Amino acid sequence: MLFKKMLRDLKHNKSQFITIFLMVFLAVFAFSGIHAYMDGMKFGSEEYYKKQNLQDLWVTKENFSKEDLEKVKELDNVNNAERLLRIKANVVNPEDYTNKTTGKELKEFVIECNFIESNDINQLYVQKGEKFDVNKSGLWFDEYLAENLGIKIGDEIELSYEGLTLKEKVVAIVEAPDHVYFMKDETAIFPTHTDYGFAYLSINELPEMFHVFPYMIVDVDDLSQLKEVKASIKENIDNVITVTDREDDISYSGFLREAEEGESYSGIFSGLFVFIAILSVVTTMNRFVKRERTQIGTLKALGIKKRKITWMYVNYGFFISVVAGVLGLFIGRYTLGSFFLNMELVYYEIPYLHTYLIPLVYEVAIGIVIVITLVTYLSCRKILKEKAAEAIRVEIPKVKISKFDITTKGIFKRASLSTKWNLRDVLRNRARTFMALVGIMGCTMLVVVALGMFDSLNEYMRWEFEVINHFDYRLNLSENYTDSQYEAIIEKYGEKTSQSVGVEFKNDDEIELNALTINDAKGLLQTTDHNKKPFEMKNDGIYITEKMSKLKNLKVGDTVEWRIVATDKWYKSKIAGLAKDPQNQQFYCTKDYFETLEETTYRPDSIYTNKDLSKIKEINGVNTIQSIGNIRSEMDNMLQMMFMVIYLLIGISIALGFVIIYNLGILSFTEKEYQFATLKVLGYKNKQIKKIFIKQNIWITIVAILLSFPVAFWVTDYIFANAIGDIYDFNAYIRPITYAISGLGSFIVSYLINKFLARKINKIDMVSSLKGNE
Amino acid sequence: MEKIVELKNVSKVYKIGENEFKALDNIDLELNKGEMIVVLGPSGAGKSTLLNLIGGMDSPSSGEVIIDGENISSYNENKLSSYRAENVGFIFQFYNILPSLTVKENVDIVKDIVKNPIPTEEALKSVGLEEHKNKFPNQLSGGEQQRVSIARAVAKNPKLLLCDEPTGALDSHTGVDVLKLLRKQCDANHGANTVIIVTHNSLIADIADTVIHVKNGKIESVVKNPNPKKIDEVKW
Ligand SMILES: Nc1ncnc2c1ncn2[C@@H]1O[C@H](COP(=O)(O)OP(=O)(O)OP(=O)(O)O)[C@@H](O)[C@H]1O
Ligand SMILES: [Mg+2]
Repeated sequence: MLFKKMLRDLKHNKSQFITIFLMVFLAVFAFSGIHAYMDGMKFGSEEYYKKQNLQDLWVTKENFSKEDLEKVKELDNVNNAERLLRIKANVVNPEDYTNKTTGKELKEFVIECNFIESNDINQLYVQKGEKFDVNKSGLWFDEYLAENLGIKIGDEIELSYEGLTLKEKVVAIVEAPDHVYFMKDETAIFPTHTDYGFAYLSINELPEMFHVFPYMIVDVDDLSQLKEVKASIKENIDNVITVTDREDDISYSGFLREAEEGESYSGIFSGLFVFIAILSVVTTMNRFVKRERTQIGTLKALGIKKRKITWMYVNYGFFISVVAGVLGLFIGRYTLGSFFLNMELVYYEIPYLHTYLIPLVYEVAIGIVIVITLVTYLSCRKILKEKAAEAIRVEIPKVKISKFDITTKGIFKRASLSTKWNLRDVLRNRARTFMALVGIMGCTMLVVVALGMFDSLNEYMRWEFEVINHFDYRLNLSENYTDSQYEAIIEKYGEKTSQSVGVEFKNDDEIELNALTINDAKGLLQTTDHNKKPFEMKNDGIYITEKMSKLKNLKVGDTVEWRIVATDKWYKSKIAGLAKDPQNQQFYCTKDYFETLEETTYRPDSIYTNKDLSKIKEINGVNTIQSIGNIRSEMDNMLQMMFMVIYLLIGISIALGFVIIYNLGILSFTEKEYQFATLKVLGYKNKQIKKIFIKQNIWITIVAILLSFPVAFWVTDYIFANAIGDIYDFNAYIRPITYAISGLGSFIVSYLINKFLARKINKIDMVSSLKGNE
Repeated sequence: MEKIVELKNVSKVYKIGENEFKALDNIDLELNKGEMIVVLGPSGAGKSTLLNLIGGMDSPSSGEVIIDGENISSYNENKLSSYRAENVGFIFQFYNILPSLTVKENVDIVKDIVKNPIPTEEALKSVGLEEHKNKFPNQLSGGEQQRVSIARAVAKNPKLLLCDEPTGALDSHTGVDVLKLLRKQCDANHGANTVIIVTHNSLIADIADTVIHVKNGKIESVVKNPNPKKIDEVKW
């Protein structure tokens, strides 16, 4: 019998239960999808690095001898070490290759060739073909590049390097753990895998005279001893240039950064989704059980066991949340998670990356089910505790009249009856109102935050590429340009120049590494103040960025002691002012100031110009010509991935907001149906009643929207200020129009949903709804 | 005598799955203006159904409901609510007043629906609630709540006052007070107001001008009572 009742209840409260289902589903879906993707990135790469034994240390020297290698292998905590020669070889006939996506022939085709003696560290992941063997010739070839150019096993590639040519057959298609995030050069921002790639070869492919090993990769046993190993390498091997670890590696840290980049904001988003959904569902279940009060009382009076009654009601919450939770977990993981992961895989070359659900995700899903079930159980028990006779009686709303006091005084005295009625209804149903406020506020806020992130990033782009870098082209001068070359360049492109040097400075007994840019490019390379407005540096000291001032506790007027890296002369400079920079936290000064220091010579390394250089390929004495437009569009490209995630978050926020407003509407309608029926009997027109109904929800929506704005700004600012790395310094920037659009959007959605729900008022059957309640 | 209610061949049929159930079965009925009418009958007889049809809360499955010469069974939703607003006052067993409005406000809402209501103060005075006008319903006793609903109904100054078990939830003493108020409404307006009371209590029949017996969806009898008793004469 109870089962029959359950089915009937489900049918009768169909829309209510569907909205509960949707809320749980959406929250778990987003949570699972985003986590499956983020954690998939993290754990997938960890697994990869572990299985393929990515090196822990990179060591450079002019040429590592066999003895060096043996020595390193003997060091404490060193598991293994290998030597490596890395050269960039040109493919002899690039026009033989076409880019499969664009259909264009290559003009230039460079392969980074890694010559090795063994492959126990940084083991190649062989997709197709044979395992690496030092006694075999051939190319272990970059999979992504092979894919893009249609290169297959057996293809022969002719390479040239400083007069030497090599003809090699592709013997395997591979991926390499230290080439996950791999780009052409420093000026590239993201990997294209089109005219540039890597290959591994046996060192025996080169004539003996070329057997030079400037790199050594080291596998360390106990990572807690990394510092000690580093030190002992420096100590035991002569003339070591650098010893760096994974953190300094572009591939490793680049991928890690990508994996962690979204963590903060998507964490905030998916966490809020879950919070808002739980809040709404819990309130709804609680109200549902309360509404069933007389029924529960009756069942109890009939002598049905309490446990059975409780079980029946708990089942609603339990089954709906279990089904929604399980579906959310899996659909989220396999659609959303996979979708994003596959998008990342276009750039990042990493095998067996798959979505991954950490226990937290399951715990959250289980937590949602438990909370919903528990609240249903508690609400039910509370009613069952009442005496049967009491429960059967219709609940006289227990509300302290003093709560209504404000509505009988002051401005409210003259308010219309429907306003008073709504106001009191809000006060009486505080839990429902609160849930509605938080729900709508949360969703509007999420939309504002998401759009605000666009605004902020666009503002950042404007600041970086229109204000700070206020030029069209930057010429990076060759290291050993001649005076006459320099004269010729400035003659043509103007003398707006800068020089950047690495510096070391003393800060609380420690010597820290940083950079100093000496700026003599007035009007083209600009420093900006706190309000992102350009200002001219004076010649009375050095400038630091605001963020650096904060992080290193250096203030204007302080004196810093510094020197140029690899020199011995220390300078004492006063900090003359602060600059704000979105992505470089460093020192700046003018050329004039720099030249007042002893033993310094200003030798520009960059020239800035607004001349059109789009047709010019090469300039004597210039290493690379960078177009600020190109950098900007590459940057834009890189942000696309993030934008995709943000779009999706907006989508889910809107969907959730939609369901929550709908749910609230149904809830408040069901709870007021009886009163509406009374009004109808009195002779109120449907239109009048609809107005009363819509009024309340519109109020709540407006208040929620207004409250959401400051919170949204704060959250966006939090994301940018704290959640991104130390090298960044930009704040939330949300345009008024963004607030307007999000607010108006929420309002319209709420208005339309309520308008739609108000149609139910036409259908109120006076006779049965008055009968039904009493 | 002028007719206020005429039912011609009225049926109300409920469909329950495949089956049909006739709550009212081909009823013909005429009620005179200015009378106090009591409807009696066993539970499930169709009394409330009858009252709801007259009050325009429900429409008949067939037949005509003519009120003051107007056939309201052909009215659409909108016209019906105007009809209810202007002509009918309802009083229910469980008062049906709005819990979040004060006594005064509960009566005030009438101003939203009729053009010339009786002033709220007056209506409250007539039911003896002027002292309680700023209270909320849950601060009142049942009888007081029922008097609020009477004040609200009366304030509309309706031609027809329809009462479904108005004393059902009250003790006999308070019930008598309520009946007195209903009588007063019937006599107001120079005796042009009609009051119909549905009840189980056959004693109430003694004070009525007309007593109608309903059974199994049919009118069993319509009895005129030329000398209705004064309320105080009845032994409750
Ligand atoms: N919505 C409905 N659907 C089906 N049957 C209904 C419906 N409403 C009323 N009925 C049936 O119509 C009959 C008359 O109902 P009504 O409410 O008029 O009885 P009543 O005479 O007022 O009884 P009571 O004195 O118990 O209030 C009843 O038998 C009832 O079962
Ligand atoms: Mg009845």
